[in-house]
Amino acid sequence: MLKFPNINIGKIILLVTILTWLGLLFVDLLRLFGTVNRMQLGIANEITWTLEIIFFILVYLFCNRSIERSENSDFIHFIWRAASTGLIVIAAAIVIRLFYLVLDDTRLSTDPLLANFFYHINFGLTTIFLISCGLIWKKLILYQKSKTSVQQWQIFEVMLLVSMFFVYFNQNTFTFTFLFGLVFLLLFGVIISVNLKWIPYLTFKDKWKSILFFTIILITTSFLFMQALSYQSAYDEINLMDNLFLMGLFGFVFVYSLFSFLVTLFNLPTSSVFEQKLTEAINFQKLSQSIQPGQSETQVLDILLDSCMSASYADAAWLELSNGSSEEVQILHQRFITNKDRKDIRELMVKTKPFSDFMHTNGLIKSEYISGPTEHDLYKSVLIVPIKVNRDLIGYTILLKEVKNGFNKEMLNIINTFVGQASISVENHRLLNEAIKNERYKEELKIAQRVQSSLLPSVLHHNEDFDIVGFSEAADEVGGDYYETYQFNEHRFGLIIGDVSGKGTSAAFNMAQMKGIFNSLVQLDLSPKEFLSQANSALSRCLAKNHFITTTYYLIDTEARTIQFSRAGHCPTLYFDSHSGQADFVKLEGLGLAILRNKKFPQYLHEKTIHYHPADVLLMYTDGIVEAKNLENEEYGYDRLKEVLNKHHLLTAPQIKEKVIESMHEFLGGASLPDDDFSLMVLKFTPEH
Amino acid sequence: MLTIGKDKVENYILVSLEGQVDASNSVELDESIKEVIDEGNKYILVDASALDYISSAGLGVFMSYLDDFEEQSIQFIIFGLSEKVSNVFHILGLDQLITIKTTKEEALQVIHES
Repeated sequence: MLKFPNINIGKIILLVTILTWLGLLFVDLLRLFGTVNRMQLGIANEITWTLEIIFFILVYLFCNRSIERSENSDFIHFIWRAASTGLIVIAAAIVIRLFYLVLDDTRLSTDPLLANFFYHINFGLTTIFLISCGLIWKKLILYQKSKTSVQQWQIFEVMLLVSMFFVYFNQNTFTFTFLFGLVFLLLFGVIISVNLKWIPYLTFKDKWKSILFFTIILITTSFLFMQALSYQSAYDEINLMDNLFLMGLFGFVFVYSLFSFLVTLFNLPTSSVFEQKLTEAINFQKLSQSIQPGQSETQVLDILLDSCMSASYADAAWLELSNGSSEEVQILHQRFITNKDRKDIRELMVKTKPFSDFMHTNGLIKSEYISGPTEHDLYKSVLIVPIKVNRDLIGYTILLKEVKNGFNKEMLNIINTFVGQASISVENHRLLNEAIKNERYKEELKIAQRVQSSLLPSVLHHNEDFDIVGFSEAADEVGGDYYETYQFNEHRFGLIIGDVSGKGTSAAFNMAQMKGIFNSLVQLDLSPKEFLSQANSALSRCLAKNHFITTTYYLIDTEARTIQFSRAGHCPTLYFDSHSGQADFVKLEGLGLAILRNKKFPQYLHEKTIHYHPADVLLMYTDGIVEAKNLENEEYGYDRLKEVLNKHHLLTAPQIKEKVIESMHEFLGGASLPDDDFSLMVLKFTPEH
Repeated sequence: MLTIGKDKVENYILVSLEGQVDASNSVELDESIKEVIDEGNKYILVDASALDYISSAGLGVFMSYLDDFEEQSIQFIIFGLSEKVSNVFHILGLDQLITIKTTKEEALQVIHES
């Protein structure tokens, strides 16, 4: 593959430009030499003109490239570029003049060839100056581009290009057509010169600088123009300057510089206002963007105080936060004021009306601010703006000025806007923090959920004489239902089902306590009544006053085929008796645990023993099932539960469990979920084959 | 929704409950009962005829004042319970600790007898 060497286009253009200029110089020298020596060399004017046009275009390309590539897009930088080019050109012209002064009256001073050489140097420099100025003006004109301004500029560029070739048409003589073309170019130059939108963006200092630079440019332009005209009269033969393109460019560069100079000058007095507005806009943006994660309210209030101070030209200020209802205030930010002065003014405020009224109506502020004179030695006027977040007063911004009536309406408006924006920022910040906190709570609850689900047994103890399954679902993340089993020996088992009062987290904690109590008491192998009495006395010590637990404790003996149980306020057990073929709730008096926290408790407990038969079903559940309500506010109730068991008693324990849940969901109608925890345990004695 | 009404009649105070007592409003019930106890009422009648539902949290409120009633020898009587709500009290066994009557007359009878 052919590899192109890395060519620097800029350098090539520069080289070609210089070569073109040298060519032009050589051709013109030859021509002049011919004229001086009265020789006919046969070099046509067209060669000079063509070389001149090529030179213009090359200079344009070079300048355009170097301006486009410049990284600094500052206006002042551009204007300085134009002015400095002007200075160099002037310097070169002066050096040439000095050179002639030194030559004085020697023969060399009148040598036409030498003069022609210097003429070409001046011509080249003038061209570079004008074209680079023109391109910089283009940058400035098109600073705030609109469709029209871009079109106007393009037309102007085309006109300038055409004007280069005008020389072929008028043979470099001064005719009315030339004048007409020049006037036309100038008029168009004036029209596009009204695009001065960049000027207001200069700072006060930059405006002064640009005025100075434009003065230099104007002087340079005038000087070069005069010089061009004077050469023209002296050497008629070679005339490069009397060109429509150059003259038009002269006019345009001059007019635009003049406009810019005058507009900048007249903009000087109002520039501080524009700067102020710009600062305010930036401050406003800062306030609205200031709450980033990791930033605090203090930083927002810091920006607020600075913004308010700069908007009102305040001499001193402070920002205080009120701590709830107490009189004590926290000074958050303080600017250009001593603690003593601050305290003095604060005391003055509290004493004098209308400030005292204003600051005492804590939280019930009607007006948005208050301003007025003070009797302080140094500060004559004061402005107080309350900062409210979510309608609550969080503090005050106090601004001070050394002049009387120092706060005008515009300042008050902008300060109010600042305070409003800061309040929103603070509020957003608080909301964000709250959201983060809530997110953390949710995570914690998820952990609690995992921990709790591990508290319920996944496998329940049983032997070949019965099968047992359990199920539990909490209304919230965690619940207060509890069930567990224990195996004493091959044929004796302990079973418990319980429901802690209330629901949610508090219920979950109590449920965990119940599990602990079960696991310690069950090992003592107590009778159900004794077991529950012990549990009551244990829970009486650790449950909150208004909490209780309902539970039923069963002992199953598969050898004796008995179920011995006692009920402590829990839902009555549903029992399917395969002999009678009927399910029924077993009636047995009892009292919930921790309701009666004294020795009288056991007298409210009773025990019952059921002699079971194969294929009997014991259904244990919590009130979440029977109290579940559908959209019509109707409870699932005991009868429906009984019905389900009557209908499905022939199925296995897991199947019966599924049927119960199914029937409940059907009743609830899918849309609503139970608002209480619900659990059930199904125990089925193995049928005889 | 729970509406609690209080009516001081002669020698007793009548607290009427309307609607449902659940975890969200059991605090209101608690406050009301605490108030009537603190007022020094010795006979408190609770009209629960318009009470549709009571959750375990609501039952917990009644339960938590049992000791206070005994210590300050306060007669606390609930009457007019619907069958459903009455059943809830019965299952828990709370009817054995709180005097529960069917009608207001029966409840007043208890006061007169004491």
